[in-house]
Amino acid sequence: MNVSSAVVRAFGLAKTHGQGQSRVHAVDEVDLEVPQGQTLAVMGPSGCGKSTLLHLLGGLERPTGGEVWVAGRRIDTLSERALARLRRQSVGFIFQAFHLVEELSAADNVELPALLAGRSRRQARRRASLLLERVGLADRARHLPSQLSGGQRQRIAIARALANEPLVVLADEPTGNLDTSATLDVLRIFEDLRAAGQTLVVVTHDERVAATADRLIAMRDGMFVDDTRLAGSHPRGLGGLIGLEG
Amino acid sequence: MGRLVLIARLVLADLRRHPAQAAMLVVAVTAATATFTLGLSLSGASQALYEQTRAATAGPDMVALTPGSDPAVTSALTSLADAPEVVAHHGPYRIVYADLTARGRTSNVVVHGFAETPGAVNRPLLTSGHWVRSGGTVLERGFATALGVGVGDRVTIAGRSYPVVGIAVTAATSIYPGAAQIGPYGGGSDYSGLAWMTRSDARTLASSHELPVTMALDLKLRDPAATESFHDAHRDSAVRINLHSWQFTAQQDLVILRNSRPILVVGSWLLSFLAITGVAALAAGRAAARTRRAGLLKAVGATPGLIGTVLLTEYLALALAGDALGLVIARLTAPALAGPTTGRIGDAAGPSAATVAAATALAVAVAVLSTLRPTLRALRTATVTALTATAHRPRHRPRLTALSALLPTPLLLGLRLTARGPGRAVLQACSTATTVIALVALLTLYAQPERGYGLNGSSVLPNLRGEHDRQLMLAVTVLLIALAIVNTITFTWTTAMEARANMAIARTLGATPGQIAAGLSLAQLLPSLPGAVIGVPLGSGLLALFAAGNAAETPSAWLLGAALTTVLATAALTALPARLAARQPVAQALSAETA
Repeated sequence: MNVSSAVVRAFGLAKTHGQGQSRVHAVDEVDLEVPQGQTLAVMGPSGCGKSTLLHLLGGLERPTGGEVWVAGRRIDTLSERALARLRRQSVGFIFQAFHLVEELSAADNVELPALLAGRSRRQARRRASLLLERVGLADRARHLPSQLSGGQRQRIAIARALANEPLVVLADEPTGNLDTSATLDVLRIFEDLRAAGQTLVVVTHDERVAATADRLIAMRDGMFVDDTRLAGSHPRGLGGLIGLEG
Repeated sequence: MGRLVLIARLVLADLRRHPAQAAMLVVAVTAATATFTLGLSLSGASQALYEQTRAATAGPDMVALTPGSDPAVTSALTSLADAPEVVAHHGPYRIVYADLTARGRTSNVVVHGFAETPGAVNRPLLTSGHWVRSGGTVLERGFATALGVGVGDRVTIAGRSYPVVGIAVTAATSIYPGAAQIGPYGGGSDYSGLAWMTRSDARTLASSHELPVTMALDLKLRDPAATESFHDAHRDSAVRINLHSWQFTAQQDLVILRNSRPILVVGSWLLSFLAITGVAALAAGRAAARTRRAGLLKAVGATPGLIGTVLLTEYLALALAGDALGLVIARLTAPALAGPTTGRIGDAAGPSAATVAAATALAVAVAVLSTLRPTLRALRTATVTALTATAHRPRHRPRLTALSALLPTPLLLGLRLTARGPGRAVLQACSTATTVIALVALLTLYAQPERGYGLNGSSVLPNLRGEHDRQLMLAVTVLLIALAIVNTITFTWTTAMEARANMAIARTLGATPGQIAAGLSLAQLLPSLPGAVIGVPLGSGLLALFAAGNAAETPSAWLLGAALTTVLATAALTALPARLAARQPVAQALSAETA
């Protein structure tokens, strides 16, 4: 791997919770490099530290050891303010529980990161329209999250994560709350993102999601136990991969 | 019995879980009921002090006064003593109008010429020193306190120096500075203190300086309540005689307290209002948890009646505790407030049964009004729904969202946070308006020109009534500001807690902690601005209801300053809770939301 092209890097990254006997190593001194354009899937059982790893890479939590670098900049020593700016410019988050703002419409939710980044209302709206079209929800722009299905909500969340054209998108169990059909929709979008060269780190339980990645890391007890390079995009397409096509 | 024990245990458990909210309710109700009780009982307390002083000094039922000292006047007064309704009398004696200087301060004084051995009626009670003797003077206690003199000091009366040999109180005249029952030559009386001398000294004082004199006679009636009929029966005397009943004198004591009642009663309404807004905001913040608790109780077999009883009992118990504390505080402070001049002795009677009932009704109203809505919600929500109750979902406001998108990030966040809780925004605005109303009232009192109690209105002796009003208003304002401060912090914190998930989402999308903190502060400031603006005319209007017709207008700069200061203070107060809330770990907040 070309180290200089790595968007995300971590060295000896560790996160512990608690003290003494109850001390838990959520992430136990892992090293990681995610090059530009790579789709990385992280799998493992519940509680193995996948989500914590994602939070550490995105600067939502601070490590207890090691270093995290994003876009060539060490972030674990940054102030909260600088971390916020980094997230605004370089990182997009997608959550299992969607975490949309319930009182805002789909378009308003997608606009929000651009507005927070100081873009004009017009620019933010134009970008939101584009992204909603990209995720196939242009006709749902004025709907509230409560008026949308789980899959549609997650597609809105993906559009929101892309609002500021981030260097890396970090997705935490993006299909965990979705049925098969909605999962397929999300995977199609991820496939498009991969094709467009978007760097993507996906934490998942779902092997079907992992199978669409370029690389798969297996985690257990906070450590990486396997790191596999996959063949790339599947010639049969996603539907075939997950058994939804005849 | 088992049911009562269960209710008590559930109430105690909830109190243990939320001690800050319980303390807030108790303190707020205490402040409101103490102020309310004082407002209602000042008149009775003043009356009680007068009656105790009257009993201790053998106060006359009627004082007959007539200008001059010629024999016809004396004869007319003496004839009153022979009236069949009169059982005892004192006098006639001289009242000499002079000026008195002590410690560089000069005041009007009326000097009563008394025997060296007091009679059966009007026996001033010495509180220090001894009674009049030749060449010495005794000062009325309220007057002596205002002058700052005591036994052993010297005062100058009409140019001659006298030692102060005693300090005494009397019920024959009203309290300082109302000692001159009628003015020189029967005209209007000015602010005056009271001093006693021997009869011969008073005669010498009057004659050597040709000072105006009034002759007075103190009367004890067979029926002390029959002063009105005595007055009517002796109206047509050949010599003009002014008759002052003891009831009139007692009423005159209240002049100094004239503004105290509206300050305290209106102040208590405002305090009650702030108590309701603060506790309602806290209760609303706990609404989801309370509904879940109600659901849990229903799920294990509790009836809606039991749940309602538990919820209301908790608040009623706290309100009644606050009420009891407020009544005790009112009882302890009433004598000082009702007798600001030290011219009376004794202990003020406690609040009347009607006052206690009114204060208790106020406390109960505060408790019920502040908790009724969440209690009803908890009762009405179906068990299964209640068990999964979450914070209320804010309304979609497309226009406001579009408008806020045009604004800088802190304002965008602040406006959207304000829109999430319009009820709380209204409460914040009302809380701010209440603070500004109190400040406007205080500043208006300070803006009033007033005559001092010194000679010719000089302010070398301050106007006690004005001082008393200002001190009371200051105390009420301090209480109101204290509650408003607690409210503002509560509003900011509950806003932050309710919007915790959204703020965490904003953080993941790149909002800085500073922007989040500024947004939370602005969410309180935005409703505070109209509250401060409305508070100025409201305060002025409220004062106009009670102010004298010739009251001076408060400078506009003062009023604007009060509004501006309130807004700036709100900004400063919200900063700390907003910063604390903005520093909450993002991942933790998101996990809590998911759970």
